Amino acid sequence: MTEQEIIEITNRVFEESFEIEKEKLHPQAHIFQDLGIDSLDVVDLVVALQKSFGVNIRNEEKVRNIRTLQDIYDFIAEIKNEKERQSY
Amino acid sequence: MQLKRVVITGIGVVSPLGNSVASFIDGLETGKSSVRFMEEWTHYNGMRSFVAAPAELKDEKKIPRQNRRTMGRMSIFAAQASEQAVADSGITPAEISSGRTGCIIGSTMGSAKSINDAFEIMLPERDLTRLSSSMFFQCMSHTATVNVAQYLGLTGYLMTSAAACASSLQAVGIAYDLIRLGRQDLFLCGGTEELHPTVTGSFDILFATSVKYNQAPQKTPRPFDKDRDGLVCGEGSGIMVLEEYEHAVRRNAKIYAEIAGYSTFGSGSHMSQSDKKSMIHCMSEALHSADIKPGQIDYINAHATGTPQGDKEEAEAIKEIFGASVPVSSLKGYIGHTLGASGAIELIASLIMMEKGIIYPTLNLKEIDPDCGGIAHITGPVRKEINTVLKNCFAFGGINASLVCRKNIY
Repeated sequence: MTEQEIIEITNRVFEESFEIEKEKLHPQAHIFQDLGIDSLDVVDLVVALQKSFGVNIRNEEKVRNIRTLQDIYDFIAEIKNEKERQSY
Repeated sequence: MQLKRVVITGIGVVSPLGNSVASFIDGLETGKSSVRFMEEWTHYNGMRSFVAAPAELKDEKKIPRQNRRTMGRMSIFAAQASEQAVADSGITPAEISSGRTGCIIGSTMGSAKSINDAFEIMLPERDLTRLSSSMFFQCMSHTATVNVAQYLGLTGYLMTSAAACASSLQAVGIAYDLIRLGRQDLFLCGGTEELHPTVTGSFDILFATSVKYNQAPQKTPRPFDKDRDGLVCGEGSGIMVLEEYEHAVRRNAKIYAEIAGYSTFGSGSHMSQSDKKSMIHCMSEALHSADIKPGQIDYINAHATGTPQGDKEEAEAIKEIFGASVPVSSLKGYIGHTLGASGAIELIASLIMMEKGIIYPTLNLKEIDPDCGGIAHITGPVRKEINTVLKNCFAFGGINASLVCRKNIY
């Protein structure tokens, strides 16, 4: 999966699940302060990302460190790469 | 202790006839049935009744996402009806958040669709990880009350009545009692309900639904009619603002009516069958608490859903107390049985009948069943000065509720 694909899928989650306008979805956008995500949304964000990327991140400690969209892109890339490595 | 007086100062409706009081009343005035064939239910094995009165879910995106995400269909209806009632009453956001305004919204249960969705997601693989955070808040029994309270910033007394088809009349009754006791100055109260095949199905398996009119939906339900064959489910929400009388007078509020009396009792006899004796008791106690005689009631808005047994018992109970002297009609033929919302929606219609001096007839009542005779059925619009109304709701579980309103306040 390319970085661009990760960005597109992640942004689609924010648009569809959280009704956030495309224009606000820049990599440095703070998901809590700029995009209005709250504690309930985080649960749904995890569910939506798991579904969209076919990963299991619910118990990943690193989820707690996510602040910006770029953090999500990086986190997903890391998880996907790890998954691909393990499959070889 | 001197009990306070309680008046109704705001009303709001989402109904199968439209999502405002005006469109709802317009539908009643023009004798419109909102019942239709439910093609989408035909794949349910064992279902026999394919008729219902759906309301339209619209403008829900006007509710901010953070509020909307925890609302199932029925809570959205309740929020929209509540907004109408608040606007109609003219109460301010400061009053709503003063701690002196409470909220009681009744329903049979939480959102039927959300409950079904949650189990469909969870059960096939016993997997909890795909459930959204808001699912539980849509499913829980007090979902409508708390969603409305959070949406409006309402900080007073919050509770939910869950008495199936008597839920919303109980909500109004409890709010009435709490204002009388001086615990709150204002209440947003009423009920809400949503259509779902599992809801109609629960009546269908008990042989309580209408099954003969699937090809002629607008001819059913037929309260008190000799060809009635069961109830038809509807959906929507009716919300009222109840207010302590002096409080309403101080702010020069429009007063629709005073709540003069209320009672609720159990039948103690059968889970699903209505019984005349307990209905008589309930209506008599409501009259007693209002300190009025049967002859002083100008109109009875019946529960009558179109079931053979329920309509007969109610008609006999009314006959026993009122004879044929008080006009009676049921509104189920227009909007189906809106279950937990029916008491409030139909009480709101009764308030408008009072205001306009007109009685809307029982739709589809073409030939009065001899079993339901001896009372003053209204089969066409009647002009009449209406000062006092009795509203009945009789629910599964043997829960009865009756409420008396009067227009002229002295």
